[in-house]
Amino acid sequence: MLAIHASGLAKTYSGAFGRRPQEALRGVDLDVSEGTAFGLIGPNGAGKTTFVKAILGLVRPSAGVARLLGGDPGDPRPRARVGYLPERLQFPPALDARAILRSVARLKRLRDPEAAIDRRIDELGLAEVASRRAGTYSKGMRQRLGLACALLGAPALLVLDEPTDGLDPLARVEVRNLLARELARGATLFLNSHLLSETERVCTRIGILVGGRIVREGALDAMRESTSRWAVRFDGNAQAQPLAAAGFSPAARGEGWTFDGEPPALNEALERARRSGALLVELSRESRDLEAVLQDAVGVPR
Amino acid sequence: MMVLAIAQDLLAEARSRRWVLAFLAAATLVLAAVAVGLRFEVVDGALAATRLFGGDLRSDVRSVDVALRPLFVATSYVVFYGGLVFGIVATADFAPTLLAPGRIEPLLALPLRRWHVLAGTFLGVELLVLAAALYGGAGVFVLLWIKTGVANAGPLAAAASAAVAFAPVYAAMLATALVARSAALSAGSGLLILVAGIVAGNRAVIAELFQPGASRAVFVGLTAILPRLSSLGRIGAAVSADAPVAAGALLALVAGTAVFALAILAIGVDRFDRKDF
Repeated sequence: MLAIHASGLAKTYSGAFGRRPQEALRGVDLDVSEGTAFGLIGPNGAGKTTFVKAILGLVRPSAGVARLLGGDPGDPRPRARVGYLPERLQFPPALDARAILRSVARLKRLRDPEAAIDRRIDELGLAEVASRRAGTYSKGMRQRLGLACALLGAPALLVLDEPTDGLDPLARVEVRNLLARELARGATLFLNSHLLSETERVCTRIGILVGGRIVREGALDAMRESTSRWAVRFDGNAQAQPLAAAGFSPAARGEGWTFDGEPPALNEALERARRSGALLVELSRESRDLEAVLQDAVGVPR
Repeated sequence: MMVLAIAQDLLAEARSRRWVLAFLAAATLVLAAVAVGLRFEVVDGALAATRLFGGDLRSDVRSVDVALRPLFVATSYVVFYGGLVFGIVATADFAPTLLAPGRIEPLLALPLRRWHVLAGTFLGVELLVLAAALYGGAGVFVLLWIKTGVANAGPLAAAASAAVAFAPVYAAMLATALVARSAALSAGSGLLILVAGIVAGNRAVIAELFQPGASRAVFVGLTAILPRLSSLGRIGAAVSADAPVAAGALLALVAGTAVFALAILAIGVDRFDRKDF
């Protein structure tokens, strides 16, 4: 079953006072299966937050269809199974964390809310500040509280917009572990983040949104794998000149060589290298980081 | 259920707000000061003397319930208009704060309908204003009862009237906040409805000031749809003065006020439903 389905989803914000209408989404087609850890990445202004808001029913699409856990985003029933952490987060400043969590639990109609609240307070490291007014919280504490609210009630789908924003490195590790536990429980994770390294570590599928359109979507490993670049390592006695003549280039990072070409050309180049006395030690498709994948998708020269 | 939950959250937040606490402290201080400073000398049901902080206010010997009617009427007006002004000032930023980016999105992502948020906020604010007006009204009622031996329900009636009159005022404030998220504009629209409601309550008298013809017809037409808030204010005063209150007229007044408030709320709900966050 699909946790999120978008078909031809478009959103144009009408321009008030004579301003030009702004097209945030231009026909997004995207399916996210249940149990997946999906990361939506893209440059600023690509429409990521608008997409998240459209699937949660916070903005009304100008065209297309959005489905949330098989239901209409405007219907409270599917939203009862969703935990959402927005990018910008504000809490009633006069209330403490426990009161805020109680309010969320009440609105989510949780049974036995106190046990769930205690568990999330412990998990997110909020025990020491749970009775302090939220207005006195640091950004990191607010983020932890936001996560606790989103996770309350063990939702089937977690929609998290920059979940580790404002957290220190150790807290980020804690949150990653927490998300891994949620995934192991069977929850679906939809992550919208600028932090590509975080997305890489947590997500197994990626969608790249550029200019209001999904330009690439698929398994993270497949996207990172180059189709025509190979990483090659020869033994220490290999001579650089014959390798370069055979078509190999020194790798940009670390030791080794790279080769750009399809398998037949690669085999010919390896044959020439062997004839020059070089012994092949390691061969693999070059794996790119998500930054390179994004740069390729956006069309930024590297 | 969801509406009550939203109202409950609003009241929990209000309990910690400086404006609300300041009002309660100020009302308590005023009541305490009056309790200490005001002295009535009642002899066999007649008011022999009145002293405020030691100074003589009146020396005529009259039946105490008759003698104190102006005081009860005045306190009823204070409770009524004081309750309304407190409501406008203390609750002006509730809706703008609730609608703030980062606060409204996670709320609307919860399993509720948008109208629940507006109805819950409206209900919570109404309960808050009713509680505040009743606090002041009941304080005055008890104070004067102890001091004079006369139990006059005027201040209590004024508190209830204030809560009814605040409904269209806050409906307008809420609807304004949905258009422009500003506490000042929200309070401004509430004050505008209050003033318009005072004018509407006195429309028969004010209409006489217009030349008969088009201008008077326009004034009468425009004020016909407005809630007659000053008429509601006169209910407490009438109860204080032991004047009769016609049940039919009272019912029509309350119903008219409620219809106006619901109409404004319906416009607000429609706007809220179509709004992107």
